[in-house]
Amino acid sequence: MIVKVLSLATALTVCYAVRAAAVDLYGSTLSLNGFGTVGIVHSNEDKADFTATDFEPNGAGYSRSWSASVDSLVGAQVTANLTPRLSAVLQIIVQQNYDDTYWPHVEWANIKYQVTPDFDVRGGRVVMPTFLESDSRKVGYGYPWVRPPTELYSLNPITTLDGADTTYRLHLGEITNTLQADYGRNLSFKFPAGNRVDANYAWGIFDSAEYGAGLLRLGCLHSTLTLNSGAELFDALRQFGSQGTALAANYQAVDKPVTIVTVGASYDPGQWFAMGEWLRSRSESFLGVTTGWYISGGFRIGAFTPFLTYAQVTERTTSTDGLSESGFPAYLAPTVAALNAGLNELLATRAIQYTSSIGVRWDFMKNFDLKAQLDRMNLGAGSPGTLVNTQPGFQPGSTVYLLSAAVDFVF
Amino acid sequence: MNHIGCSGWMLIALTLTLASGAATADVVAVVSAKSPIVALSKSQLADIFLGKTSRFPDGSPAVAIDQAEGSAVRDEFYDRVAGKSAAQIKAFWSKIIFTGRGQPPPTVSNTTELRQRIKDNPAAVGYLDRDKVDDSLRVVF
Repeated sequence: MIVKVLSLATALTVCYAVRAAAVDLYGSTLSLNGFGTVGIVHSNEDKADFTATDFEPNGAGYSRSWSASVDSLVGAQVTANLTPRLSAVLQIIVQQNYDDTYWPHVEWANIKYQVTPDFDVRGGRVVMPTFLESDSRKVGYGYPWVRPPTELYSLNPITTLDGADTTYRLHLGEITNTLQADYGRNLSFKFPAGNRVDANYAWGIFDSAEYGAGLLRLGCLHSTLTLNSGAELFDALRQFGSQGTALAANYQAVDKPVTIVTVGASYDPGQWFAMGEWLRSRSESFLGVTTGWYISGGFRIGAFTPFLTYAQVTERTTSTDGLSESGFPAYLAPTVAALNAGLNELLATRAIQYTSSIGVRWDFMKNFDLKAQLDRMNLGAGSPGTLVNTQPGFQPGSTVYLLSAAVDFVF
Repeated sequence: MNHIGCSGWMLIALTLTLASGAATADVVAVVSAKSPIVALSKSQLADIFLGKTSRFPDGSPAVAIDQAEGSAVRDEFYDRVAGKSAAQIKAFWSKIIFTGRGQPPPTVSNTTELRQRIKDNPAAVGYLDRDKVDDSLRVVF
Protein backbone atom coordinates (compact mmCIF):
# COMPACT_ATOMS: atom_id res chain seq x y z
CA MET A 1 0.00 0.00 0.00
CA ILE A 2 2.92 2.36 0.74
CA VAL A 3 4.16 1.76 -2.83
CA LYS A 4 0.75 2.61 -4.21
CA VAL A 5 0.48 5.79 -2.15
CA LEU A 6 3.98 6.83 -3.24
CA SER A 7 3.22 6.08 -6.90
CA LEU A 8 0.08 8.13 -6.78
CA ALA A 9 1.85 10.92 -4.92
CA THR A 10 4.51 10.89 -7.66
CA ALA A 11 1.83 11.02 -10.33
CA LEU A 12 0.33 13.94 -8.44
CA THR A 13 3.65 15.80 -8.39
CA VAL A 14 4.22 15.15 -12.09
CA CYS A 15 0.74 16.38 -12.94
CA TYR A 16 1.23 19.45 -10.80
CA ALA A 17 4.49 20.15 -12.62
CA VAL A 18 2.89 19.63 -16.03
CA ARG A 19 0.14 22.18 -15.34
CA ALA A 20 -2.89 22.87 -17.44
CA ALA A 21 -1.67 23.79 -20.88
CA ALA A 22 -3.17 25.06 -24.08
CA VAL A 23 -1.52 24.90 -27.46
CA ASP A 24 -2.52 26.25 -30.83
CA LEU A 25 -2.15 23.65 -33.52
CA TYR A 26 -3.05 24.46 -37.13
CA GLY A 27 -5.76 26.86 -36.03
CA SER A 28 -7.35 24.59 -33.46
CA THR A 29 -6.65 24.77 -29.74
CA LEU A 30 -5.54 21.79 -27.70
CA SER A 31 -5.94 21.94 -23.93
CA LEU A 32 -4.52 19.57 -21.36
CA ASN A 33 -6.19 19.29 -17.98
CA GLY A 34 -6.09 16.77 -15.21
CA PHE A 35 -7.44 15.79 -11.85
CA GLY A 36 -6.78 13.31 -9.13
CA THR A 37 -7.31 12.14 -5.61
CA VAL A 38 -4.91 10.60 -3.13
CA GLY A 39 -7.02 9.10 -0.40
CA ILE A 40 -6.84 6.59 2.42
CA VAL A 41 -9.71 4.98 4.25
CA HIS A 42 -9.85 2.81 7.34
CA SER A 43 -12.68 0.46 8.23
CA ASN A 44 -13.06 -1.15 11.62
CA GLU A 45 -14.84 -4.17 10.09
CA ASP A 46 -12.06 -6.68 9.51
CA LYS A 47 -14.25 -9.45 8.05
CA ALA A 48 -15.44 -7.57 4.95
CA ASP A 49 -14.15 -4.89 2.61
CA PHE A 50 -15.47 -1.39 2.10
CA THR A 51 -15.20 -0.25 -1.50
CA ALA A 52 -16.35 2.95 -3.12
CA THR A 53 -17.75 1.20 -6.22
CA ASP A 54 -18.73 -2.33 -7.21
CA PHE A 55 -15.80 -2.35 -9.66
CA GLU A 56 -13.19 -2.49 -6.89
CA PRO A 57 -11.99 -6.03 -6.07
CA ASN A 58 -10.78 -5.19 -2.56
CA GLY A 59 -10.84 -2.31 -0.15
CA ALA A 60 -10.58 -1.32 3.48
CA GLY A 61 -11.35 -3.62 6.37
CA TYR A 62 -10.56 -7.24 5.54
CA SER A 63 -8.00 -6.87 2.71
CA ARG A 64 -6.23 -3.96 4.36
CA SER A 65 -6.89 -2.05 7.52
CA TRP A 66 -6.05 1.18 5.71
CA SER A 67 -6.58 1.21 1.95
CA ALA A 68 -5.28 3.76 -0.52
CA SER A 69 -6.89 2.07 -3.53
CA VAL A 70 -10.52 2.81 -2.61
CA ASP A 71 -10.51 6.52 -3.45
CA SER A 72 -7.18 7.23 -5.19
CA LEU A 73 -7.05 7.91 -8.89
CA VAL A 74 -5.54 10.24 -11.44
CA GLY A 75 -7.06 11.42 -14.70
CA ALA A 76 -5.85 13.42 -17.67
CA GLN A 77 -7.88 14.98 -20.43
CA VAL A 78 -7.10 16.48 -23.81
CA THR A 79 -9.71 18.80 -25.30
CA ALA A 80 -9.36 19.87 -28.92
CA ASN A 81 -11.38 22.81 -30.22
CA LEU A 82 -11.20 21.94 -33.89
CA THR A 83 -13.58 24.55 -35.26
CA PRO A 84 -15.83 27.01 -33.42
CA ARG A 85 -18.54 24.30 -33.39
CA LEU A 86 -16.58 21.05 -33.39
CA SER A 87 -14.57 19.82 -30.44
CA ALA A 88 -13.20 16.50 -29.25
CA VAL A 89 -12.41 15.19 -25.81
CA LEU A 90 -10.31 12.28 -24.59
CA GLN A 91 -10.11 11.50 -20.88
CA ILE A 92 -8.06 8.68 -19.44
CA ILE A 93 -8.14 7.57 -15.83
CA VAL A 94 -5.77 5.40 -13.83
CA GLN A 95 -7.31 3.71 -10.83
CA GLN A 96 -7.75 0.23 -9.43
CA ASN A 97 -9.50 -1.97 -12.00
CA TYR A 98 -11.84 -4.92 -11.38
CA ASP A 99 -8.88 -7.31 -11.75
CA ASP A 100 -6.62 -5.42 -9.33
CA THR A 101 -4.52 -4.01 -12.15
CA TYR A 102 -3.90 -0.32 -12.77
CA TRP A 103 -4.06 -0.18 -16.56
CA PRO A 104 -5.44 3.18 -17.69
CA HIS A 105 -8.95 3.16 -19.08
CA VAL A 106 -10.77 5.58 -21.33
CA GLU A 107 -13.58 7.35 -19.51
CA TRP A 108 -14.61 9.88 -22.19
CA ALA A 109 -13.73 9.89 -25.89
CA ASN A 110 -16.13 11.79 -28.07
CA ILE A 111 -16.64 14.44 -30.69
CA LYS A 112 -19.08 17.22 -29.98
CA TYR A 113 -20.91 19.36 -32.48
CA GLN A 114 -22.33 22.59 -31.09
CA VAL A 115 -25.38 23.06 -33.31
CA THR A 116 -26.36 26.27 -31.50
CA PRO A 117 -24.91 27.70 -28.28
CA ASP A 118 -27.74 25.88 -26.44
CA PHE A 119 -27.85 22.60 -28.38
CA ASP A 120 -25.09 20.08 -28.84
CA VAL A 121 -24.69 16.50 -29.97
CA ARG A 122 -21.85 14.15 -29.01
CA GLY A 123 -20.83 10.83 -30.47
CA GLY A 124 -18.40 8.33 -28.99
CA ARG A 125 -17.83 7.41 -25.39
CA VAL A 126 -19.86 9.37 -22.91
CA VAL A 127 -20.88 8.80 -19.30
CA MET A 128 -24.48 8.31 -18.27
CA PRO A 129 -25.33 11.13 -15.84
CA THR A 130 -27.57 8.98 -13.65
CA PHE A 131 -27.14 11.11 -10.53
CA LEU A 132 -26.21 14.75 -9.92
CA GLU A 133 -22.49 14.01 -9.66
CA SER A 134 -22.36 10.86 -11.81
CA ASP A 135 -20.57 12.20 -14.81
CA SER A 136 -17.96 13.95 -12.67
CA ARG A 137 -17.95 11.42 -9.82
CA LYS A 138 -14.20 10.87 -10.22
CA VAL A 139 -13.36 14.56 -9.87
CA GLY A 140 -13.14 14.83 -6.09
CA TYR A 141 -12.39 18.55 -6.32
CA GLY A 142 -15.94 19.07 -7.58
CA TYR A 143 -17.83 18.02 -4.44
CA PRO A 144 -17.43 18.51 -0.70
CA TRP A 145 -17.41 14.86 0.48
CA VAL A 146 -14.56 12.36 0.22
CA ARG A 147 -16.77 10.33 -2.13
CA PRO A 148 -20.35 10.63 -3.38
CA PRO A 149 -22.68 8.60 -1.10
CA THR A 150 -22.04 4.95 -1.98
CA GLU A 151 -25.65 4.02 -1.22
CA LEU A 152 -26.57 5.53 -4.57
CA TYR A 153 -23.36 5.92 -6.50
CA SER A 154 -21.77 2.52 -5.97
CA LEU A 155 -24.77 0.38 -6.90
CA ASN A 156 -25.25 1.57 -10.46
CA PRO A 157 -23.31 -0.56 -12.95
CA ILE A 158 -24.16 1.54 -16.00
CA THR A 159 -21.52 4.22 -16.27
CA THR A 160 -19.65 4.65 -19.56
CA LEU A 161 -21.63 4.34 -22.78
CA ASP A 162 -20.43 3.93 -26.32
CA GLY A 163 -23.06 5.81 -28.24
CA ALA A 164 -24.25 9.37 -28.26
CA ASP A 165 -25.77 12.06 -26.17
CA THR A 166 -27.45 15.34 -26.82
CA THR A 167 -28.08 18.36 -24.62
CA TYR A 168 -30.66 21.08 -25.16
CA ARG A 169 -30.75 24.16 -23.00
CA LEU A 170 -33.78 26.42 -22.75
CA HIS A 171 -33.90 29.82 -21.08
CA LEU A 172 -37.32 30.65 -19.66
CA GLY A 173 -37.00 33.98 -17.93
CA GLU A 174 -34.73 33.38 -14.96
CA ILE A 175 -34.95 29.59 -15.28
CA THR A 176 -32.38 27.60 -17.22
CA ASN A 177 -33.72 24.21 -18.24
CA THR A 178 -31.29 21.59 -19.51
CA LEU A 179 -32.56 18.42 -21.16
CA GLN A 180 -30.09 15.63 -21.87
CA ALA A 181 -30.64 12.30 -23.57
CA ASP A 182 -28.07 9.49 -23.70
CA TYR A 183 -27.99 6.29 -25.69
CA GLY A 184 -25.44 3.51 -25.72
CA ARG A 185 -25.15 0.09 -27.35
CA ASN A 186 -23.36 -3.16 -26.56
CA LEU A 187 -22.50 -2.29 -23.01
CA SER A 188 -20.26 -4.66 -21.13
CA PHE A 189 -18.95 -4.14 -17.63
CA LYS A 190 -16.58 -6.50 -15.85
CA PHE A 191 -16.68 -6.87 -12.11
CA PRO A 192 -14.45 -8.72 -9.64
CA ALA A 193 -14.70 -12.50 -9.15
CA GLY A 194 -15.66 -13.16 -12.76
CA ASN A 195 -18.94 -11.27 -12.60
CA ARG A 196 -20.09 -9.25 -15.55
CA VAL A 197 -23.02 -7.18 -16.63
CA ASP A 198 -23.93 -6.92 -20.29
CA ALA A 199 -26.61 -4.84 -21.93
CA ASN A 200 -27.70 -4.60 -25.54
CA TYR A 201 -28.51 -0.97 -25.04
CA ALA A 202 -29.15 1.67 -22.40
CA TRP A 203 -30.84 5.01 -22.70
CA GLY A 204 -31.41 7.81 -20.24
CA ILE A 205 -33.26 11.11 -20.20
CA PHE A 206 -32.45 13.78 -17.66
CA ASP A 207 -34.00 17.18 -17.15
CA SER A 208 -32.72 19.83 -14.78
CA ALA A 209 -34.17 23.23 -14.03
CA GLU A 210 -32.04 25.88 -12.38
CA TYR A 211 -33.44 28.99 -10.79
CA GLY A 212 -30.94 31.17 -8.99
CA ALA A 213 -29.10 28.98 -6.50
CA GLY A 214 -31.63 26.17 -6.78
CA LEU A 215 -31.65 23.12 -9.02
CA LEU A 216 -34.18 20.34 -9.50
CA ARG A 217 -33.42 17.30 -11.63
CA LEU A 218 -35.44 14.35 -12.83
CA GLY A 219 -33.98 11.35 -14.59
CA CYS A 220 -35.08 8.11 -16.11
CA LEU A 221 -32.79 5.36 -17.28
CA HIS A 222 -33.72 2.12 -19.02
CA SER A 223 -31.72 -0.87 -20.09
CA THR A 224 -31.95 -4.61 -20.54
CA LEU A 225 -29.33 -6.27 -18.37
CA THR A 226 -27.78 -9.70 -18.40
CA LEU A 227 -25.89 -10.67 -15.26
CA ASN A 228 -23.88 -13.86 -15.20
CA SER A 229 -24.13 -14.13 -11.41
CA GLY A 230 -26.07 -17.15 -10.25
CA ALA A 231 -25.67 -18.82 -13.66
CA GLU A 232 -24.90 -22.24 -12.15
CA LEU A 233 -27.89 -22.06 -9.82
CA PHE A 234 -30.27 -21.17 -12.65
CA ASP A 235 -28.80 -23.77 -15.00
CA ALA A 236 -29.41 -26.38 -12.31
CA LEU A 237 -32.95 -25.14 -11.71
CA ARG A 238 -33.76 -25.54 -15.39
CA GLN A 239 -33.09 -29.28 -15.03
CA PHE A 240 -36.16 -29.51 -12.82
CA GLY A 241 -38.97 -29.51 -15.35
CA SER A 242 -41.38 -26.74 -15.99
CA GLN A 243 -41.31 -25.58 -12.36
CA GLY A 244 -37.57 -25.06 -12.49
CA THR A 245 -37.68 -23.40 -15.89
CA ALA A 246 -40.37 -21.01 -14.69
CA LEU A 247 -38.35 -20.10 -11.59
CA ALA A 248 -35.23 -19.48 -13.67
CA ALA A 249 -37.15 -17.41 -16.20
CA ASN A 250 -38.65 -15.33 -13.39
CA TYR A 251 -35.52 -14.65 -11.37
CA GLN A 252 -32.49 -14.94 -13.62
CA ALA A 253 -31.24 -11.63 -14.96
CA VAL A 254 -30.94 -12.44 -18.64
CA ASP A 255 -32.04 -9.65 -20.96
CA LYS A 256 -34.23 -8.34 -18.19
CA PRO A 257 -35.49 -4.76 -18.40
CA VAL A 258 -34.29 -2.45 -15.67
CA THR A 259 -35.73 1.01 -15.11
CA ILE A 260 -34.20 3.56 -12.79
CA VAL A 261 -35.91 6.80 -11.83
CA THR A 262 -33.95 9.51 -10.04
CA VAL A 263 -34.83 12.85 -8.49
CA GLY A 264 -32.19 15.32 -7.37
CA ALA A 265 -32.38 18.75 -5.78
CA SER A 266 -29.77 21.18 -4.57
CA TYR A 267 -29.61 24.70 -3.24
CA ASP A 268 -26.23 26.40 -3.14
CA PRO A 269 -26.24 30.15 -2.55
CA GLY A 270 -22.49 30.08 -1.77
CA GLN A 271 -22.28 30.44 2.01
CA TRP A 272 -24.03 27.11 2.56
CA PHE A 273 -25.50 24.27 0.56
CA ALA A 274 -28.12 21.56 0.85
CA MET A 275 -28.70 18.75 -1.59
CA GLY A 276 -30.40 15.42 -1.86
CA GLU A 277 -31.17 12.66 -4.30
CA TRP A 278 -33.57 9.75 -4.49
CA LEU A 279 -33.55 6.69 -6.67
CA ARG A 280 -35.85 3.80 -7.40
CA SER A 281 -34.70 0.93 -9.52
CA ARG A 282 -36.98 -1.85 -10.70
CA SER A 283 -36.14 -5.08 -12.49
CA GLU A 284 -38.15 -8.22 -13.21
CA SER A 285 -35.40 -10.47 -11.91
CA PHE A 286 -33.70 -11.34 -8.65
CA LEU A 287 -32.46 -7.74 -8.63
CA GLY A 288 -35.99 -6.69 -7.76
CA VAL A 289 -36.67 -3.24 -6.43
CA THR A 290 -34.14 -0.88 -4.90
CA THR A 291 -34.85 2.44 -3.22
CA GLY A 292 -32.18 4.79 -2.02
CA TRP A 293 -31.75 8.43 -1.05
CA TYR A 294 -29.46 10.84 0.70
CA ILE A 295 -29.48 14.39 2.01
CA SER A 296 -26.43 16.46 2.65
CA GLY A 297 -25.74 19.96 3.85
CA GLY A 298 -22.86 22.12 4.87
CA PHE A 299 -21.67 25.67 5.15
CA ARG A 300 -18.54 27.57 4.32
CA ILE A 301 -16.37 29.41 6.83
CA GLY A 302 -13.34 30.84 5.12
CA ALA A 303 -11.59 27.98 3.35
CA PHE A 304 -13.43 25.29 5.35
CA THR A 305 -16.63 23.50 4.41
CA PRO A 306 -17.92 21.25 7.18
CA PHE A 307 -20.76 18.97 6.07
CA LEU A 308 -23.18 16.30 7.21
CA THR A 309 -24.74 13.56 5.11
CA TYR A 310 -27.34 10.90 5.75
CA ALA A 311 -27.78 8.17 3.14
CA GLN A 312 -29.71 4.95 2.92
CA VAL A 313 -30.37 2.22 0.43
CA THR A 314 -32.82 -0.66 0.57
CA GLU A 315 -32.65 -3.44 -1.95
CA ARG A 316 -35.93 -5.16 -1.29
CA THR A 317 -35.61 -8.72 -0.04
CA THR A 318 -38.03 -11.33 -1.26
CA SER A 319 -38.38 -15.06 -0.86
CA THR A 320 -39.87 -17.88 -2.80
CA ASP A 321 -41.27 -21.34 -2.07
CA GLY A 322 -39.09 -22.49 -4.93
CA LEU A 323 -39.41 -26.00 -6.27
CA SER A 324 -42.01 -28.12 -4.50
CA GLU A 325 -40.34 -31.27 -3.18
CA SER A 326 -43.48 -33.32 -3.80
CA GLY A 327 -43.06 -32.81 -7.51
CA PHE A 328 -39.82 -34.81 -7.63
CA PRO A 329 -38.56 -38.28 -6.62
CA ALA A 330 -37.39 -38.66 -3.03
CA TYR A 331 -33.71 -39.12 -3.95
CA LEU A 332 -33.74 -35.61 -5.41
CA ALA A 333 -35.11 -34.04 -2.22
CA PRO A 334 -31.70 -32.87 -0.90
CA THR A 335 -30.88 -31.28 -4.27
CA VAL A 336 -34.25 -29.57 -4.41
CA ALA A 337 -33.72 -28.27 -0.87
CA ALA A 338 -30.24 -27.02 -1.74
CA LEU A 339 -31.45 -25.24 -4.87
CA ASN A 340 -34.32 -23.61 -2.97
CA ALA A 341 -31.90 -22.50 -0.27
CA GLY A 342 -29.51 -21.12 -2.87
CA LEU A 343 -32.27 -19.21 -4.62
CA ASN A 344 -33.62 -17.79 -1.38
CA GLU A 345 -30.14 -16.75 -0.29
CA LEU A 346 -29.79 -14.82 -3.54
CA LEU A 347 -33.12 -13.10 -2.90
CA ALA A 348 -32.40 -12.37 0.76
CA THR A 349 -28.79 -11.18 0.57
CA ARG A 350 -29.49 -7.65 -0.52
CA ALA A 351 -27.84 -4.36 0.29
CA ILE A 352 -29.63 -2.54 3.09
CA GLN A 353 -27.61 0.18 4.71
CA TYR A 354 -27.97 3.49 6.54
CA THR A 355 -24.96 5.78 6.79
CA SER A 356 -24.45 9.02 8.69
CA SER A 357 -21.38 11.02 7.78
CA ILE A 358 -19.64 14.07 9.11
CA GLY A 359 -16.64 15.67 7.51
CA VAL A 360 -14.85 18.79 6.44
CA ARG A 361 -13.26 20.02 3.24
CA TRP A 362 -10.35 22.48 3.46
CA ASP A 363 -9.37 24.42 0.35
CA PHE A 364 -5.87 24.98 1.65
CA MET A 365 -4.27 26.15 -1.57
CA LYS A 366 -5.18 26.91 -5.14
CA ASN A 367 -6.22 23.79 -7.09
CA PHE A 368 -5.99 21.54 -4.02
CA ASP A 369 -8.29 20.48 -1.25
CA LEU A 370 -7.95 18.27 1.81
CA LYS A 371 -10.90 16.32 3.19
CA ALA A 372 -11.53 14.29 6.31
CA GLN A 373 -14.68 12.27 6.84
CA LEU A 374 -16.12 9.93 9.44
CA ASP A 375 -18.88 7.54 8.35
CA ARG A 376 -21.05 5.39 10.55
CA MET A 377 -22.57 2.63 8.44
CA ASN A 378 -25.51 0.76 9.96
CA LEU A 379 -25.98 -2.43 7.98
CA GLY A 380 -29.59 -3.56 7.75
CA ALA A 381 -30.60 -6.65 9.71
CA GLY A 382 -29.26 -9.72 7.93
CA SER A 383 -27.59 -7.60 5.26
CA PRO A 384 -23.93 -7.08 4.36
CA GLY A 385 -24.84 -3.58 3.22
CA THR A 386 -22.56 -2.48 0.40
CA LEU A 387 -19.58 -4.38 1.87
CA VAL A 388 -17.88 -7.03 -0.25
CA ASN A 389 -15.49 -9.97 0.29
CA THR A 390 -17.40 -11.07 3.40
CA GLN A 391 -15.39 -13.63 5.39
CA PRO A 392 -16.44 -16.43 7.72
CA GLY A 393 -17.40 -14.87 11.01
CA PHE A 394 -18.75 -11.70 9.41
CA GLN A 395 -21.86 -10.46 11.19
CA PRO A 396 -24.47 -8.97 8.85
CA GLY A 397 -26.46 -6.13 10.30
CA SER A 398 -23.52 -4.72 12.28
CA THR A 399 -22.31 -1.12 12.55
CA VAL A 400 -19.12 -0.20 10.73
CA TYR A 401 -17.06 2.95 11.15
CA LEU A 402 -15.00 4.43 8.37
CA LEU A 403 -12.35 7.10 8.67
CA SER A 404 -11.27 8.69 5.40
CA ALA A 405 -8.80 11.37 4.39
CA ALA A 406 -8.19 12.59 0.88
CA VAL A 407 -6.33 15.24 -1.08
CA ASP A 408 -7.92 16.25 -4.39
CA PHE A 409 -6.33 18.34 -7.09
CA VAL A 410 -7.15 19.72 -10.49
CA PHE A 411 -4.99 21.43 -13.08
CA MET B 1 0.99 79.12 14.44
CA ASN B 2 -1.45 77.28 12.18
CA HIS B 3 0.42 76.89 8.85
CA ILE B 4 -2.02 74.40 7.37
CA GLY B 5 -5.00 76.67 7.03
CA CYS B 6 -8.48 75.85 5.76
CA SER B 7 -7.44 74.89 2.23
CA GLY B 8 -4.65 72.80 3.72
CA TRP B 9 -7.14 70.79 5.80
CA MET B 10 -9.37 70.36 2.79
CA LEU B 11 -6.42 69.03 0.83
CA ILE B 12 -5.61 66.57 3.61
CA ALA B 13 -9.24 65.51 3.82
CA LEU B 14 -9.41 65.03 0.05
CA THR B 15 -6.19 63.00 0.01
CA LEU B 16 -7.47 60.80 2.82
CA THR B 17 -10.76 60.24 0.99
CA LEU B 18 -8.99 59.33 -2.24
CA ALA B 19 -6.57 57.08 -0.36
CA SER B 20 -9.38 55.18 1.39
CA GLY B 21 -11.24 54.96 -1.96
CA ALA B 22 -8.24 53.29 -3.59
CA ALA B 23 -7.82 50.81 -0.70
CA THR B 24 -11.37 49.43 -1.14
CA ALA B 25 -11.39 49.43 -4.94
CA ASP B 26 -14.79 48.80 -6.42
CA VAL B 27 -15.12 46.06 -9.07
CA VAL B 28 -17.45 46.89 -11.92
CA ALA B 29 -18.56 44.95 -14.96
CA VAL B 30 -17.93 46.64 -18.29
CA VAL B 31 -18.73 46.27 -21.96
CA SER B 32 -17.40 48.18 -24.93
CA ALA B 33 -18.63 51.77 -25.24
CA LYS B 34 -19.75 50.67 -28.72
CA SER B 35 -22.05 48.02 -27.30
CA PRO B 36 -25.81 48.70 -27.05
CA ILE B 37 -25.92 47.06 -23.60
CA VAL B 38 -26.64 49.59 -20.88
CA ALA B 39 -27.06 47.50 -17.75
CA LEU B 40 -26.84 43.89 -16.61
CA SER B 41 -28.16 42.35 -13.42
CA LYS B 42 -26.13 40.25 -11.02
CA SER B 43 -27.85 37.03 -12.14
CA GLN B 44 -27.42 37.86 -15.83
CA LEU B 45 -23.70 38.41 -15.28
CA ALA B 46 -23.41 35.22 -13.21
CA ASP B 47 -25.10 33.23 -16.00
CA ILE B 48 -22.74 34.64 -18.63
CA PHE B 49 -19.55 34.16 -16.63
CA LEU B 50 -20.55 30.66 -15.48
CA GLY B 51 -21.26 29.58 -19.02
CA LYS B 52 -24.99 29.08 -18.53
CA THR B 53 -25.80 31.39 -21.40
CA SER B 54 -23.81 32.88 -24.24
CA ARG B 55 -26.24 35.69 -24.97
CA PHE B 56 -27.11 39.03 -23.48
CA PRO B 57 -30.76 39.59 -22.45
CA ASP B 58 -31.40 41.24 -25.83
CA GLY B 59 -30.30 38.05 -27.63
CA SER B 60 -26.97 39.33 -28.92
CA PRO B 61 -23.91 37.15 -28.35
CA ALA B 62 -21.99 37.59 -25.10
CA VAL B 63 -18.34 36.63 -24.61
CA ALA B 64 -17.06 36.70 -21.03
CA ILE B 65 -13.47 37.75 -20.41
CA ASP B 66 -11.89 36.78 -17.08
CA GLN B 67 -9.01 38.34 -15.22
CA ALA B 68 -6.12 36.16 -14.09
CA GLU B 69 -6.81 33.40 -11.58
CA GLY B 70 -5.80 34.46 -8.11
CA SER B 71 -6.17 38.19 -8.80
CA ALA B 72 -8.03 40.20 -6.15
CA VAL B 73 -10.32 41.79 -8.74
CA ARG B 74 -11.42 38.38 -10.03
CA ASP B 75 -12.10 36.99 -6.56
CA GLU B 76 -14.10 40.07 -5.63
CA PHE B 77 -16.12 39.94 -8.87
CA TYR B 78 -17.24 36.34 -8.34
CA ASP B 79 -17.95 36.98 -4.67
CA ARG B 80 -20.23 39.92 -5.52
CA VAL B 81 -21.91 38.48 -8.59
CA ALA B 82 -22.20 34.77 -7.74
CA GLY B 83 -21.51 34.61 -3.99
CA LYS B 84 -18.75 32.09 -4.66
CA SER B 85 -15.12 31.85 -3.62
CA ALA B 86 -12.27 31.17 -6.04
CA ALA B 87 -12.22 27.51 -4.96
CA GLN B 88 -15.95 27.16 -5.56
CA ILE B 89 -15.61 28.68 -9.04
CA LYS B 90 -12.75 26.29 -9.74
CA ALA B 91 -14.83 23.32 -8.56
CA PHE B 92 -17.72 24.49 -10.75
CA TRP B 93 -15.55 24.69 -13.86
CA SER B 94 -13.81 21.40 -13.07
CA LYS B 95 -17.14 19.63 -13.32
CA ILE B 96 -17.81 21.30 -16.67
CA ILE B 97 -14.35 20.66 -18.12
CA PHE B 98 -14.10 17.04 -17.05
CA THR B 99 -17.49 16.17 -18.47
CA GLY B 100 -16.55 17.76 -21.80
CA ARG B 101 -19.30 20.35 -21.41
CA GLY B 102 -17.21 23.42 -22.03
CA GLN B 103 -14.38 25.57 -20.84
CA PRO B 104 -14.01 28.66 -18.64
CA PRO B 105 -13.81 32.12 -20.22
CA PRO B 106 -10.47 33.21 -21.67
CA THR B 107 -8.29 35.17 -19.27
CA VAL B 108 -6.26 38.32 -19.69
CA SER B 109 -3.16 39.10 -17.65
CA ASN B 110 -3.66 42.82 -17.08
CA THR B 111 -6.02 45.76 -17.46
CA THR B 112 -4.45 46.91 -20.74
CA GLU B 113 -5.09 43.55 -22.34
CA LEU B 114 -8.65 43.61 -20.99
CA ARG B 115 -9.31 47.02 -22.51
CA GLN B 116 -7.94 45.84 -25.86
CA ARG B 117 -10.13 42.72 -25.85
CA ILE B 118 -13.29 44.63 -24.96
CA LYS B 119 -13.15 48.05 -26.58
CA ASP B 120 -13.64 46.89 -30.19
CA ASN B 121 -15.84 43.88 -29.47
CA PRO B 122 -19.49 44.67 -28.69
CA ALA B 123 -20.02 41.08 -27.55
CA ALA B 124 -17.30 41.15 -24.90
CA VAL B 125 -18.02 41.68 -21.22
CA GLY B 126 -15.40 41.87 -18.48
CA TYR B 127 -14.72 43.39 -15.09
CA LEU B 128 -12.09 45.61 -13.53
CA ASP B 129 -11.54 48.20 -10.80
CA ARG B 130 -13.86 51.16 -11.19
CA ASP B 131 -10.99 53.64 -11.21
CA LYS B 132 -9.42 51.89 -14.20
CA VAL B 133 -12.46 52.40 -16.42
CA ASP B 134 -11.84 54.72 -19.35
CA ASP B 135 -13.96 56.14 -22.18
CA SER B 136 -13.63 53.03 -24.33
CA LEU B 137 -15.65 51.05 -21.78
CA ARG B 138 -19.12 51.39 -20.26
CA VAL B 139 -19.99 50.24 -16.75
CA VAL B 140 -23.01 47.92 -16.75
CA PHE B 141 -22.93 46.71 -13.13
